[in-house]
Amino acid sequence: MALPRPGVTPPAPTANSDSRLLVQAQAGGREAREELARRMRGPAYVLALQLVGNREDALDVAQDALLRLFVHLGRVAPDRPLRPWLFAIVRNRARDLWRRRTARPNESLDARPDLSAHLAAQAGDPEQETARRQLARRVWSAIGGLSRSHREILVLRDFHDLTYAEIAGTLDIPLGTVMSRLHAARSALRGRLEADGGRHV
Amino acid sequence: MSEQCGRGFDGALLSGWLDGALTQADEQRVRIHLEDCDTCRSQVEQMRRFREVIMSTEFAVPPDDQWSERPRGAASRLSLGAGWIIVAVWALALGGYAAWEVWTSDEPLMGKLIVFGGWTGFGLLFLGVLLDRLQAMKTDRYREVEK
Repeated sequence: MALPRPGVTPPAPTANSDSRLLVQAQAGGREAREELARRMRGPAYVLALQLVGNREDALDVAQDALLRLFVHLGRVAPDRPLRPWLFAIVRNRARDLWRRRTARPNESLDARPDLSAHLAAQAGDPEQETARRQLARRVWSAIGGLSRSHREILVLRDFHDLTYAEIAGTLDIPLGTVMSRLHAARSALRGRLEADGGRHV
Repeated sequence: MSEQCGRGFDGALLSGWLDGALTQADEQRVRIHLEDCDTCRSQVEQMRRFREVIMSTEFAVPPDDQWSERPRGAASRLSLGAGWIIVAVWALALGGYAAWEVWTSDEPLMGKLIVFGGWTGFGLLFLGVLLDRLQAMKTDRYREVEK
C-alpha cells in the first residue's frame, strides 16, 4: 500500500500581507507597525512557551524578542519571511535565559516542562473534543519531555510549519543537519509516547 | 518499533519523505521501499499522525492588554545608551581640560607625574574594558540575527 506523498508545505497564508506590512512599517507607518506587532505576538509567545516552558518567562522572552525585532526592523529584507527571523531571536533569547538560570540553580528552568498545561480550549463536538484534547495532552506532555534541541526543531517544523531551509537559518545549523535532527526528534517523541503507553496514538 | 527492516538508506529520509523535502531520486527510493515495508510505512504513518495532532493544537496566548501593560525595556535601554555617550563625552572633555590645567600650572614635575600617572592608569583600565566590549560585539554569535 502506497502512502500519499505529502507536498512541500505551502507558505503561510499571511506571508504576503506580512511582507506588505513590513514594508509599510519600515517606511514609518505606525498602524502597520502595530498590526505587525499584534500578528507576531502569538507566534513569538507560543514558541517561547514551548522552549522555556512557563508563562511568565515566555512572555518576557517574547516581548524582548519583539522589541529587538522592531529595533532592527529596518535591516529585515522585505522579500524574506519575517517569522523565521523572529523565531531566531526568540530561540536565542530563550537560550540566553537557560544560560542565565543555569548559573542560578534556585531559579533554573524546568528542563522537562509540561507543555500540555498551556493548551487552549477549542470549540467542537464535546466527545470528539475530549478525545482530541486527551491525545493532544499526551503528545505535548511527551514533547515537553524531549531534550531542548529535539524540542525546538520539532516544534519549528511540526507546529510552526517552517521549511527545512528556514529551520536551518533559525537554528543556525547546516541544512543537511535539519533532516537528521528532526528525524531523531520524531523518533524520540515516538519512543516517549510508546513508553507512556501511547502505542495506539 | 524495530529499525531493522533492511532498508538501504538512512532512516532520516523517512522524515524527509513525510515533509516532501527529498530529491527526486531519494523520494523514489523511499516510495519504492515503503510499498514493501510495513515497519517503515507504520513509522511514517505514526509520524504523520503526531504531526497532525501537533499542528491542530492551539495554545493560550496572553491578551493584548497584558503585552502593553508589562514593563518594557525600550525607554530604559535608550536612556542607558544616551547616558553612556554623554558620560563618555563629559569625561573626555573634563579630563582633557583638567590635564591641560595641570600641565600648564606651576606644580612641580613630581606632582604632575603623580596626577598624570593616576589618570593614565584609569585611562588604560577604561580602554581595556572598551576593547573587550568591542571584541565581544565582533564575536557575538547573535549579531546576524539582531541586525
